[in-house]
Amino acid sequence: MLLHGAYRGFAGGARDVTLDAATIGEALEGLVRAHPSLAERLRDEHGKLRPHLALFINQDDARLLGWEDAPLHDGDIVHVIPAVSGG
Amino acid sequence: MAKKVTLLVGTKKGLYILRGDAGRGSWACEGPEFAPAEIHHAAYDPRDGSMFAAVNQTWGGSRIEVSRDMGKTWKTTKNPAFPEGGDRTFSKTWHIEPGHSKTPNVVWAGTEPAALFKSEDRGETWSIVKSLDDQPSRAKWVPGFGGMGLHSIAIDATDPKKMQVGISVGGVYRTEDGGVTWVQDNKVNGAPSERPDVFYCIHKLLAHPEESGLRFMRVHEEVYWRDPGETTWQFSTKGLPTNFGFAAAMHPRDRSTAYVIPLDGMKRTASPFGIGVYRTTDKGKTWDRLDRGLPEGAPMESVREGMHNDRLDPMGLYFGTANGDVWASKNEGESWSRVAQYLPYVTSVHAATIE
Repeated sequence: MLLHGAYRGFAGGARDVTLDAATIGEALEGLVRAHPSLAERLRDEHGKLRPHLALFINQDDARLLGWEDAPLHDGDIVHVIPAVSGG
Repeated sequence: MAKKVTLLVGTKKGLYILRGDAGRGSWACEGPEFAPAEIHHAAYDPRDGSMFAAVNQTWGGSRIEVSRDMGKTWKTTKNPAFPEGGDRTFSKTWHIEPGHSKTPNVVWAGTEPAALFKSEDRGETWSIVKSLDDQPSRAKWVPGFGGMGLHSIAIDATDPKKMQVGISVGGVYRTEDGGVTWVQDNKVNGAPSERPDVFYCIHKLLAHPEESGLRFMRVHEEVYWRDPGETTWQFSTKGLPTNFGFAAAMHPRDRSTAYVIPLDGMKRTASPFGIGVYRTTDKGKTWDRLDRGLPEGAPMESVREGMHNDRLDPMGLYFGTANGDVWASKNEGESWSRVAQYLPYVTSVHAATIE
């Protein structure tokens, strides 16, 4: 998983984490195990992923692939990106 | 060791720290910390030297940060959390209030959605005050223009079990048993009654730091005084150029003196009369304009957390503006000088008096 922008700061400056995961949801669990400080930055108190969080699998938006259920394959890079909205 | 003042200046793009010299004449500006997050409020805890910052951010959600080394490094605290099963989630922190000296580990936070959170471990973790959250009248709380938040936490000078909270828009609630039970505390004396509902839009409620029971309150369209032993809010607005505003401060020793920055109720700036601090020395019966050194006629704006005082003698008074200025007076408001400019929109100023 490759952290971008603010999420790198939330993880104490970490750039990336390599882990085994079958889905985006599992990957996020592994990411939080590696960097517990990300737990509340990724999800609210009810476990819902926060808005303005973009997850891409290589070049594809995970929202279009099943979001937390989106499958992962060997060598995939999951990008954790602070999403920008508005104009 | 001589006391010094450090200003914690929250802005829409991070926290700035202005460290004053012993004479309060020179200020070293550091920051921004946490940019681009908005810092709705920051506070210094004189009991142990901690600093707290309400970091309200879209990316990663809002959070409360604490510094144990005077702002050199910061640590993220465990987020305030709303109860499971509801549809509310912690959105923002509006105010952080260090607890009473008799409860050294207690820190309070007011949030949006409007709720009171208590920390019993110096701000490391936070728990919702369920007794206030369970008030049936909560169903009548509604958002104001800036949202629906609990922003005022007024702790009594001598008894930590006695405190009031102010909510926009939900009025004042009072506890006298440390938060076990609460009552609505919105009885008014002497105010015009055309819009009693507007009274519930509390803008700032302050407890005097030395006199038990003494309160000062800035409401959407009025200003109120309450002396010890009284149970109603005494209308004290006559003599101000407008009845609208946010920023308010109480003199830390004088029992009859308070300060406000009036704004135009429609324009939300200090026009056409220009920016000025207004002082009462007789519990709101009369008000004097203090503007020596301030730019004449400037339509500046200072918001809810925008003004604060230090604890020195003579008292220093400070306010920040929407155009990124911080103004300081080291003679209780008699004259002013600009101590910072070109900052982002200033959302809060907190004066830390440091030994």
